[in-house]
Amino acid sequence: MDNNKFVEVKNLRKVYDNGHEAIKNVSFAVKKGDLVCLLGPSGCGKTTILNILAGLLNPTSGEILFDGKSVVDVEPKDRHIGYVFQNYALYPHMTVLQNVMFPLVVGKNKKPKADAERIAQKYMELTQITELADQKPENLSGGQQQRVAIARALVQEPKILLMDEPLSNLDARLRLKIREEIRALVKSVGITTLFVTHDQEEALSIGDKIILFNDGVIQQDDLGQNFYLEPNNYFVANFVGNPVIDNFKVTKIENKLKANDFTIDIADLDQSRFKRTLADGDYLLSVRPENIFPALDGLLQATVDDVELIGRERVLKFTNDETQARSLVNLEMPIKHGDQVKLKMRLDRVFLFTPDGERVY
Amino acid sequence: MKTNQKKAWLFLAPTIIFVTLFSIYPILRAFGMSFQSGSLIDLTWTGFNNYKYIFSDPDFWLALKNTLLYAVISVPVGLAISIMLAWIIFDKVKHQSLFETTFFMPYVTSTIAIGIVFRYIFNGDYGMLNFLLRNLHMPAPDWIDDPAMSLTTIIIFGIWSSLAFNIVILMGALRNIDPNYYTIADMYGASGKDKFWRITMPQLVPTIAFLLTMNIIGAFKIYTSVYALFNGQAGVGNSGTTAVFYIYNKFQTVGTPGVAMAATVVLFLIILFATFLQRKMMKKIGEN
Ligand SMILES: Nc1ncnc2c1ncn2[C@@H]1O[C@H](COP(=O)(O)OP(=O)(O)O)[C@@H](O)[C@H]1O
Ligand SMILES: [Mg+2]
Repeated sequence: MDNNKFVEVKNLRKVYDNGHEAIKNVSFAVKKGDLVCLLGPSGCGKTTILNILAGLLNPTSGEILFDGKSVVDVEPKDRHIGYVFQNYALYPHMTVLQNVMFPLVVGKNKKPKADAERIAQKYMELTQITELADQKPENLSGGQQQRVAIARALVQEPKILLMDEPLSNLDARLRLKIREEIRALVKSVGITTLFVTHDQEEALSIGDKIILFNDGVIQQDDLGQNFYLEPNNYFVANFVGNPVIDNFKVTKIENKLKANDFTIDIADLDQSRFKRTLADGDYLLSVRPENIFPALDGLLQATVDDVELIGRERVLKFTNDETQARSLVNLEMPIKHGDQVKLKMRLDRVFLFTPDGERVY
Repeated sequence: MKTNQKKAWLFLAPTIIFVTLFSIYPILRAFGMSFQSGSLIDLTWTGFNNYKYIFSDPDFWLALKNTLLYAVISVPVGLAISIMLAWIIFDKVKHQSLFETTFFMPYVTSTIAIGIVFRYIFNGDYGMLNFLLRNLHMPAPDWIDDPAMSLTTIIIFGIWSSLAFNIVILMGALRNIDPNYYTIADMYGASGKDKFWRITMPQLVPTIAFLLTMNIIGAFKIYTSVYALFNGQAGVGNSGTTAVFYIYNKFQTVGTPGVAMAATVVLFLIILFATFLQRKMMKKIGEN
């Protein structure tokens, strides 16, 4: 038994009946008690993976191990999984209490009503919905429905909790509050959790670890901050970060990186960060908005098209080589719409990608 | 707002005119005629005499009794069988559309035609039903020609012919249930029985209520199937007479439209009451 591989997925592949390959060779492991976020844009295969883990879908090939044992041939009900569906799927004709009790009063291991009620009460207290016990789901807010769905997923005391975009139906403020509550809850129960989201900020704030998917492939499986500081590829760099990263087209000629209206001397870059020696040709230079800022000795000239205030900071928007780019500056910096600025980059923090997205610096 | 309302009335006008002409007027007319006697072209006021007549007519009471028994037995039994069959088709059968079409056939076929086929099936001597029963060593009664069996035969036929419509409507309702409800139930290890009683049935309550209303109204108006089964009669010696049969007979054969209309009004009130009662009941069930 290896607690670092409480959940292990090996070479998972899923081709739907219509021939669509939703998951292509995915492997990852989840540590016992961790809250792991499966992050990715809509349609990248997140729900497919959860459904395969839950046993609702059969993988085309690959292996799934829970606690070291293969579960590929195990029935969903015997996998010890709690699943919170994206739309919650509460039973509309049952009260909150009946919904939460449902898993306990059906099937072979059904409990006497009194026991079921006691256990349900315990989880309703934990999710703070005790006073809603006699309400029907239609009378509950999104956040309350969600707690009911979580309580229902937990009553059978599963070993693994799967949550499919549990916050996507909530308004922004509630989302912030509930995501903290969810984290606190699963940590207090100690259950290993896979949390699916398409919101990178949500993933960064809630996950012990993040697995970023795109096109049915894992792009990066890492701690949150590394998506930011050390993105694996162009997709990751652009998917994670708010405001989004700036990308400039450059061409390497001899020992220079030439853009349309600026040039960088390769000798000025941090040589230890090169993944390999650069061949001549086209590259993408990406820099996080906070690493490009107005300075007298800046290397590119730009006109500020727009200034946006986001809390403690301002985003200066400018256009370079026909693409929009952003610079994140302090609130106090006296720059306004239409100003001409010179922008400087922190060259030890920029990234270089090949045109097909591979990171080389 | 105001002009919109005017427009709405304009759009509703054709319907309102039609409903008034063909539904409301006949009802009022029937009500009026129930207090008149004489032939259709020579009606005179007669007060409650028609009502007095029908309530002292044993034929009317037999017709009412038969109709009520028919409704009380054939509707719940027919609906229960429909639910069972619909659930089996929905849950177990692969080529549902084929089955559904088959089940729907009787609904689009004339009752008279089916009735004639059933006359053969029910025939005491060479009918298919009795052939089967004899092979199973069970009593093989004379379904058509024994007065004591008339009502039973009508009920069996009524149940059979109610299945088509009920099953098609129920299948629609079953398809409308969110499949996630069952997926989740499966994940929690719910058995087929659990799923049926805890998810399917509660979800079907509104549909069942609708079908109950339709079936009860239909049952109280039973006529055609009796006519077809007994070759234009109400069974041997009028043993299978029903309310509508009584009305038709008084109107057309005996030529006393006033009496017929009095019976119509009574039947109308009974249907109204039954529907009302059934609504109340379903509401209670729906709340629990
Ligand atoms: N039953 C299915 N048959 C065929 N393609 C499907 C099916 N379900 C999902 N897909 C496709 O598989 C891809 C991944 O879907 P999904 O796992 O639901 O994505 P996500 O949850 O990340 O938004 C999508 O392109 C989707 O259209
Ligand atoms: Mg999804």
